[in-house]
Parts: sequence; structure tokens; C-alpha cells
Amino acid sequence: MAPGDGDTVSIELGHFALILAFAIAAISTVGGYVYWRSGQRIALVLSQGAVLQFVLVAVAFAALIQAFVTSDFSLLLAVNNSHSLKPLLFKISGVWGNHEGSLVLWIFILVSFGAMVAAFGRRLPDDLLALVLATQSLLTAAFTGFTLFTSNPFERVFPAPLQGNDLNPVLQDIGLAIHPPLLYAGYVGFSICFSFAIAALISGRIDQAWARWVRPWAMLSWIFLTLGITMGSYWAYYELGWGGWWFWDPVENASFMPWLAGTALLHSALVMEKRNALKIWTIFLSIITFSLSLLGTFLVRSGILTSVHTFASDPTRGMVILALLALVIGGAFALFAFRASSLRQGGLFAPVSREGALILNNLFLATAVGAVLVGTLYPLLLDALTGTTISVGAPFFNLTFGALMAPLLLVLPFGPLLAWKRADVVGAAQRLIGAAALAIFATILISALGGVSISLAPLGLLLGFWVAFGAVAELAERSKLGRIPLGESLRRLFGLPRTAWSTALAHFGMGVTVLGIVATTAWETELVTTLNPGETAELSGYTVAFDDFQQVPGPNYLSDEGHFTVTAPGGGTREMMADRRTYVASGMPTTEAAIETYGFSQLYLQLGEPLDDTHVVRIWHKPYITLIWLGAILMALAGVVSLTDRKHRVGAPQRARKTLASPAE
Amino acid sequence: MFFWFIAIAITAIACTALFYAAGRRVVNVDVPEMDDANSHFRLVLAGIDADLAAGKLGEVEAQAAKGELAREMLRLKAEPRHVVASAKGLGQAPLLAGLVGIAAVTLGLYAVLGSPDLPSQPLAGRPEAVSQSIDLEDAIARIESQLTDNPDDLRGWTVIAPAYLELARYADAARAYRRIIELSAPTADLQTSLAEALMLASNGAGSPEAVELLRAAAASEPTHVLSRLYIAAELTRAEDYPAAVTAWQDALALSKGGEPWLITAQQGLAVAQNGGVAPANDGEAEMIGQMVTGLANRLSADGGTVEEWTQLVRAYLVLGDTDSAQAAYDDAVAAYPQAFDRGDLDTLALGAGLTLNGAQP
Repeated sequence: MAPGDGDTVSIELGHFALILAFAIAAISTVGGYVYWRSGQRIALVLSQGAVLQFVLVAVAFAALIQAFVTSDFSLLLAVNNSHSLKPLLFKISGVWGNHEGSLVLWIFILVSFGAMVAAFGRRLPDDLLALVLATQSLLTAAFTGFTLFTSNPFERVFPAPLQGNDLNPVLQDIGLAIHPPLLYAGYVGFSICFSFAIAALISGRIDQAWARWVRPWAMLSWIFLTLGITMGSYWAYYELGWGGWWFWDPVENASFMPWLAGTALLHSALVMEKRNALKIWTIFLSIITFSLSLLGTFLVRSGILTSVHTFASDPTRGMVILALLALVIGGAFALFAFRASSLRQGGLFAPVSREGALILNNLFLATAVGAVLVGTLYPLLLDALTGTTISVGAPFFNLTFGALMAPLLLVLPFGPLLAWKRADVVGAAQRLIGAAALAIFATILISALGGVSISLAPLGLLLGFWVAFGAVAELAERSKLGRIPLGESLRRLFGLPRTAWSTALAHFGMGVTVLGIVATTAWETELVTTLNPGETAELSGYTVAFDDFQQVPGPNYLSDEGHFTVTAPGGGTREMMADRRTYVASGMPTTEAAIETYGFSQLYLQLGEPLDDTHVVRIWHKPYITLIWLGAILMALAGVVSLTDRKHRVGAPQRARKTLASPAE
Repeated sequence: MFFWFIAIAITAIACTALFYAAGRRVVNVDVPEMDDANSHFRLVLAGIDADLAAGKLGEVEAQAAKGELAREMLRLKAEPRHVVASAKGLGQAPLLAGLVGIAAVTLGLYAVLGSPDLPSQPLAGRPEAVSQSIDLEDAIARIESQLTDNPDDLRGWTVIAPAYLELARYADAARAYRRIIELSAPTADLQTSLAEALMLASNGAGSPEAVELLRAAAASEPTHVLSRLYIAAELTRAEDYPAAVTAWQDALALSKGGEPWLITAQQGLAVAQNGGVAPANDGEAEMIGQMVTGLANRLSADGGTVEEWTQLVRAYLVLGDTDSAQAAYDDAVAAYPQAFDRGDLDTLALGAGLTLNGAQP
């Protein structure tokens, strides 16, 4: 145990590595901004610096993981957030289940993206690469400095206690192991777009090539963010035990706003890449998207919001993050205001065109961001300024967000069918007639079968089917299905560029998600009742029998398990187990719902507190609820498909197609 | 010292890597400014040709696409190229200055923030942690034997003292705390813990020594709550009520509201003020009644959170007013028709025999 022992210095080694990474980032920032014009040498040094930052932060992160895994309670962070009896996976995920550790994860992802730019950015012009890496270093220096000076994860305790305080039991879940890293990868990935935007503004290099470089990064971050949000939604659904999948909680909104802005960015960058238009707007969106990511970090990390996500409740930290936020966002917008007027707009197009449709998409998405932003921040500002506490709940968001999304979804299928520059809206409408008819038919069929209890449900279904079938129609159109021999048509279909598949898949996924949301909102049923073991309850044709109740010890908790047998309407029985856990170290209880999937629908059982012999049991039937997440996964998959397409093509004027198309339509 | 060798070595490696990176000439230098754009256009052109060959594009379409591509290339070529102004080349001097800066910032900052002498202490390698399932008695026996060998081991005493308290070995606990104070310094917390151990050892009665320790603790730290609470309790026990009232008030003056000891202190003050007898409960019931009415009026007028409704229902149930509880529950259900919004309210109400009216889908 002597300090000279090689194995025993790992924590301090990690601490040292983080400080060294901070110093490299800080000096890189200064050097990069001063010498960005000086050609290749500075680009090479900054690239090397980015790689070093990555390696050093990885060492720091590994040191923390090592300390948690070996239950080293000489590390204050491990004392506060770990326990020697915790399962290994949760020891590891416990590293980022708290304020300090999650900042290290955030920085680790930031420097990973920086190192990726350094590795893959060799074809970038030197000055642009230098500016991008300098900006990335600025972010690293700012956040590493914040971590080291206000929330140092490497703080030590002497003498070391023998046991830790355990992690918030709600956070001891496989979801925590996956959800934050995914979400952070999404948030932080947009820093690359931000850095490119800053580099473009400083250097004046804003052209189609810029969009071509930025788009894969935006796409990659968007995929991570989509998966992160999906994961978070499903996690909240099964772990928090309320059976809801989206609560318009400020923390959820904080991740949703960058997603909306990022979605807008993907579409506007497309216009910039193909048509050299919307340049200023795309730069603006790049800044906005990352600013919203930072805002999300601020909301979660500052302790402003009191929820399960808020680990930090120290106002100084909040003030420092706010200052960082003001510096980064304020600086970026000042630069934008200063430089944007000197940028040349390019690429003319008619209102009815692919560009026009994409602008419409951007308008609606940007307005939706605004609506969510107002709904999230207004109560906070009101509270801060006047001390009045109001809550802006789901009705506000459902109404404003729904009202904005409905027209967007309505015009969505037209977009991919319109030609660049100027298009024929009647022609596109004709090609969508089949999809519209199918959507109407499906809606009528489902409504008749399901029994409609909410008047808006059929309209929502119609919208979902319309978007989904519209996406299929685009593929059918491009493969000339039904107009040429089937074999030929299939050959064309599979020969379509990956980007076409990606567009269709993403839009189809959107439709699927909409269908899931509408169906589960319209036809969800619930039952709250008291049950004794041996009794049964019935809901939507499912018979739930409460078999027995027993207390079972888990690794670091005591579990009250309720066992149920469920008989589905179509016959067939399945066992379900819902339990309430009391964690030994903290004494905190959690509810683990039992979820059983039938097709796309789910039955959701939750065990309430035991009262003598009776138990309050909540039962939900959630029709087609899994479509919500499946649709989102399809969207993320579409992003992956798009990333694998290396072929970037300029817009071929599709007007010419008419001469070739058979006159059958 | 060993740690500093590693630290300086790492810093040196990082700085060397940065220094040599500046000398490397493998990347962009061979790539002319237009190269990236040209390769992009070549890709697009190849794509158009491939589509033409595969019959996905017609002759006319392909021609138009190539025309579009040509216009694009011309436009890009016509744009003024960025002259990479090497006016300020990155010379050797600023590079070296930067590297020195990195080394200085790192080593300086670590000297301030780090604990280079503190080794890692994985649980498995720690002598006091016998196994994953710690048997307290066994662990104490081991620490005791260590302490016999080395009675100046402050850490051993610090670990063992609260464990003695836990096992109700109060005399041993007092001995351990005494030793800690001898080995370190008499802080208010340590003096209070020692007094606590002494009082527990004599079944709650405060010896003169304990009182003296508590007074010393309270005097040394003007905001030390626990010592003041013990003093007030001891005065109350000794039936010195005027002094007890002052002591309780002293302790209560330190409250910021919401502390777990607040209720005990308020009750203690009431007992002391009442000459040692707990005050009658009439006033309390009346006060609760008023608070409940106030809450009920506010909720029915302005609405409120589920927690407030739950509080109201619980209050009625405590007062034995089942009818009002049922009415309040009905109102709450009307205000929050979704079961998951209501949280534990349902559990409370149904458990108390109330019925859930309405709001079932």
C-alpha cells in the first residue's frame, strides 16, 4: 500500500491525465485561433492534440471505472455513488449515473468526435481543419475546466470508508448503462457541426463542399440522438412505473429540442449540398442545434429542474454552466451576426420544388423547437423573475406541437417526389393517389375494428398511414412499379441509391411512430383495483389472475414479487411478474412493472403498496404502443443506410422523366 | 516521488508527440485545393454514367444531369480561391512556447488539485474489509488486534468508534473517541460523539464530564446543533426548566427549517415550557383542523398538485373524517383522471377503504 506501488496510483494517474488534456485543449484553442492561417503545421499539431486529448480523457475515464469496479472508497465519487454489493454492470454504469462522472462521459464523447475529425479530416483544407479543431478544443477546455474546478470527479477521501452510499435505485438499470452514452453521443456529436459552422464563419469558406463535410457528422449525431431518446422513452416507460412513454418533462424536452433542430439541419444541409442554397440558414441551424444541446446540459446539470435526472443541486455549478453557455452561444451568435451579412446566397429555385418542400419542413420544425422551448423555459423564467410557480403540462405541448406536426406530416410525402429547382405539384399528387387511397382504406378499417373513442383518432391514423404509404409510394414511383415488368421494376428498386432508401425508410418510420402514438392514445385502457392473491381482474378481454405474492431477496435489495397469470382474448396464458424493490443501502423503493408484448401491443402490470393482504394493482392495455419505438428505430436505421451511401449526386432535373414515363398514369 | 516521475514522463511524451507532429509532412500538402471537389465531381459523373448504362436514366436526363454538373464545376472554379495567407507561419518559437505552457499548466494545476501521495485502495486489498459480506464483529476483532499492535493508528480508531456505538459497546466507544481526540484534535463533532457515548454508557444520564464536553463543543462551534440538542435534553432531564427553555431556543435558532430534529426540539421546548409535562393535545388538533380547512379551501378554489390532494386526503383520514376524505378523493380524481398522474393517492385511498368513483375508462 505504499505510494510507490505501481498498481495503486491509477486514480491519481487518471486525475493527472484529465488535467493534461485540459492544458492541451486550452493551449490548442489559443494556438488554433491565432495561427489558423499559417498552413499545414498548425493543422498537424492540432490534429495530434485532438488525438492526445482523446487518449488522455480515455485514461481518466478508465481510472474512474477501475475505481468503481474495485470498490475503491478512497474516491469520493465512488463513496457517494457505489456500493460493494452492486452488480458489476451497475458499478460501471454508476460512473456516469451522477453529476461529476456524467461530465467526464460528456467530455470523453466530445474528444472522441474531435479525434475522429482529426483522423478523417485529412482531406479538409488546412485552415478549416485548424479552426474546427481549435473550436473543438475550446469546448473541451471549457468543459474540462468546469469539471476540474467545480465538480472534480477525482476528489479523494481519507480515511476511506468501508462502504459506499449506493446509487439512486431508479438508476440501477440496464437502461442507465445505455441511455446516457447514446444521448450524449447525439448531443455532443452536434459540436462538430457547431465547430464547422464557427470555422466557416471565421474563414468565410461556405460552399457546397462545406455541407458535404458536415452532413455525415450531423447524420451520425442524429442517429445517436434518435436512439438515445427512444431508449430514454422506453426506459421511463418500464422503469418509472407510470406506464407513460413521454411526459414533456423538461429533461425530455431538453433532448427533444436538439433532435428537432438536428432534423431540420439534416434537411437544410441537403439543400445546401445539392443546390448551394440555404447556406446562412444551415450555418445558423448548426449553431442552434448545438446550443440546444448545451442548454439541455445546463437544464439537467444545473439543478434547476428537480427530477430523477438532476444530480447536481449546487447553484454555483449552475451559474458556471450558465456563464459557459453565454460564452459559447453568445460568442457564436455574435460571430454569426458579424459575418452572416458578408456571405453570398446562392441557388435560385421556385417555391414549388424539392427545395421549397424542405424549407417548409424547416419552418415547421423550427417553429416546433420554438414552441417546446417556450413551454420548457417559460415556467423557469417566471419562477426566477416573479417567484410564481406554474406548470406547463402535456396539454400545452400536445396542442401546440400536434398543431405544428399535422401540416408537416400532411405535406411530407410530397417532398421526395418533387424535383429540384421547380416541380409539378399536380404530378406529385397524382403519384400519391394510390398512397392516399390506401391510407383512407386502412384508417376506416382500423377505426371500424378498434371502436373509436376519441374523435381525432381517425385523423391521426390517416396522417400516420399517409406518411408511411407515401414513403412506399416514393419507392414504387422511382422503381416504376406497375408500369414496367415486375422483374425490371425490382431490379430498379434494389438499384436505387442508398439515399433514396434512406429517405423512404426514415419517412416510413415517422409514419409508424405516428400510428403508434395515435393508436395507444386513442385505445389505451386502464384499471386500478385491489386484488388478493387468488382473485382475478379483467381488462380489454385480458383476464389477469393474481396467483401469489412473496418476498425474495435480490443482490442489493429486497423484492416483493407479485405473480400473475394472464389469459389473452385469443386464448393462451402467460406468466407475468411485477415487483417492488426496497434497496438495502438507501432504503428507497422502486417499482418494476411487468410488461408482456402481444403483437405490437403490450399489457402493463404494476404492483402498488401492499395493504395487509390486499394489493393495489394497476393494469394497462396499450394497443400498438411498440410501434412508437419501432418507428424511431427505423428512422435511426435510415440514418445508418444514408451514411453508407458514398455517392453524392447533383440534382438531375426530373422534369425530363415525363418523356420516358409511360402515359398510363 | 514515484508518481511525479510517471507524471513528468507522460507530460514529456505528450509534448514530444506534439512537437514531432509539426514536422510531419504526410497529409494535405499533396492535396491541391480543388482535389476534394474534383474527386466529388468524378464520383457524381461516374454515378451518372453507371445509371445511364443501367437504364435508370434516359439519354436526355443524363445529358441534363451532366450539364448541371458542368455548370456547378464552372461556378466553383470561378469563385475566388482562398489564398492561404501564410503571413504568420507557425514558427518554432511559438510551438515551443505552447509546449512549455502545456507542461507548466498541467504540473502546476495537478500540484494544486491532486493528491499524489494518496494510493488507490481497492476494497479487496484493504485489511479492514475482511470480505464482501462484512461481519461487523469479526472486522472489529481484527481492527482491535491491529490497534493493540499500533495504538496510534488514527484510522483504525476512526473506523472502530462508530462500530462500537452500533454494537452498543458504549464504554469501548467512549474509550475509542477519547483516543481519537488525543491523536487528532478535539473538534465539536468528536466531543459530542464522546459525550453521546458516555451518556449512553450511563443509560442516558449526563455525567458532569459529558456536559462539560457538550458545552465545550457548543462553545467551540457557534452553529453546532447536535451538542446544543444534547445540552437542552440533559437540562430538561435534570428538571432545570428555565435553562432548558433557553437551550432549546438556542438550538431552534439554528434551524433553517425542515431538519429531521426540528419536531423533537419543538416538543422538547413545549415540555420545558410546560414544567416537564407534555402539553395537552386540544390546541394541536384545532391547529390541524384549521390547516386542513385552509388546504381544502385552496385546493377547491385553485386546484393543486397530486401531492397536495394526497396530503388533504391523508389529513382527513387521520382526523377520522371519512366522508370528507371520500369527497376530497373524488375531487382529486376529477382533477387528475389519468391513474398514473395520481401516483400513490390511489394506494392510500383504496387502502383506507375509500372508493374510486368515475374516471374509469
